[in-house]
Amino acid sequence: MSFRDWYRIDRLPTIYCVGCGNGTVINCTLHAVDTLGWKWEETVFVSGIGCSSRAPGYIKTDSLHTTHGRALAFATGIKLARPDLHVVVFTGDGDLAAIGGNHFIHSCRRNVDMTVICMNNWIYGMTGGQGSPTTPRGAITTTTPYGSGEGVFDLSALAVVAGANHVARWTSYHVKELTRAIQTGLETPGFSLIEVLTQCPTAYGRRNKLRDVAETVEYLKDHAILLQKYNRLVQEGKPVPEDMFTVGEFIRRNRPAMGVPP
Amino acid sequence: MKLVIDSDRCKGCNLCMLVCPYRIFKEGKDQNERGIIIPELDRPERCPNCRLQRLYGRTVCGLCQMICPDQAIRWDDEKENEPQKVVIEF
Ligand SMILES: Cc1ncc(C[n+]2csc(CCOP(=O)(O)OP(=O)(O)O)c2C)c(N)n1
Ligand code: SF4
Ligand code: SF4
Ligand code: SF4
Repeated sequence: MSFRDWYRIDRLPTIYCVGCGNGTVINCTLHAVDTLGWKWEETVFVSGIGCSSRAPGYIKTDSLHTTHGRALAFATGIKLARPDLHVVVFTGDGDLAAIGGNHFIHSCRRNVDMTVICMNNWIYGMTGGQGSPTTPRGAITTTTPYGSGEGVFDLSALAVVAGANHVARWTSYHVKELTRAIQTGLETPGFSLIEVLTQCPTAYGRRNKLRDVAETVEYLKDHAILLQKYNRLVQEGKPVPEDMFTVGEFIRRNRPAMGVPP
Repeated sequence: MKLVIDSDRCKGCNLCMLVCPYRIFKEGKDQNERGIIIPELDRPERCPNCRLQRLYGRTVCGLCQMICPDQAIRWDDEKENEPQKVVIEF
């Protein structure tokens, strides 16, 4: 079987804009799930609201498209009632970190056995480009017309301190690494967060000089620095180039988890 | 097998052009009936997948297929009697 067999072809093409990174992330997720040999009937995809959260609607398995920010609460419910099911959550930065922020930290704390894939495009895409907790400083959005002056949530760092068992970050350019990270997340008992930086050419790119899709993906590639390299630079006291974000596996550990099948 | 772009799904984002190590995808020129400019294929038989996919029982490289946000890239079997082009480039 191939990852393409998991798609509901009658639903394709997706409603996503030209060059939206969400499609790439779904490809990688389905590839990981398919490589592990999971069955459709044993796998549930859960999401909240947002462009990213439309992902389960394109997949053949059972799924829950829930209320905004509450995907993790629904997913926890599934895990407690049916620990035998594999639960994978698709969410956006607004869905996970803004309205769903509390569910996020407490799901990490409880370490519920699920894999959460957050498509972080730095903005509320679906509602037309409002700033989110991950909007970079200085970025133009409809709610920050003079440039955002707020600090930024580092979702991966947040998940690490809140207690998740596995946390990794990649971008929509790093398809191979991302697929491998998702696979590790799926295999790790307990809570796993895979943060994927993706392009949203429509709501974010258009306002922030990243209108061209290929250029944006290249921007993601050029501004990603491997965690190991970052640590080495810090250790050697060398300057870390500005505007860079770290990618790689931040943690893999074995804290007691909830909802793991006996 | 041969590499094809599904013109019903492709939205013309050109991400495939960005990742292919063989530069098989070239910027398209003409709009299709949906107004989308689909990339052109430059000697697609150079893609190692065309020849090795069956032999190895897995996708080789496959970067374009993975990054394509619209699931538009696939490898089809040649029709009977269709000439098979096999080119290997190192
Ligand atoms: C309770 C509630 N509040 C607000 C909304 C409006 N709303 C829909 S999607 C969305 C933001 C989604 O942003 P994000 O999670 O970043 O997803 P993206 O569209 O960027 O993928 C908001 C605020 C809603 N549907 N429900
Ligand atoms: S608005 Fe942004 S996130 Fe939503 S489909 Fe378009 S490009 Fe993707
Ligand atoms: S599989 Fe690799 S070599 Fe073949 S067309 Fe795609 S990107 Fe190019
Ligand atoms: S990546 Fe896919 S959708 Fe984008 S131009 Fe290439 S074939 Fe078309």
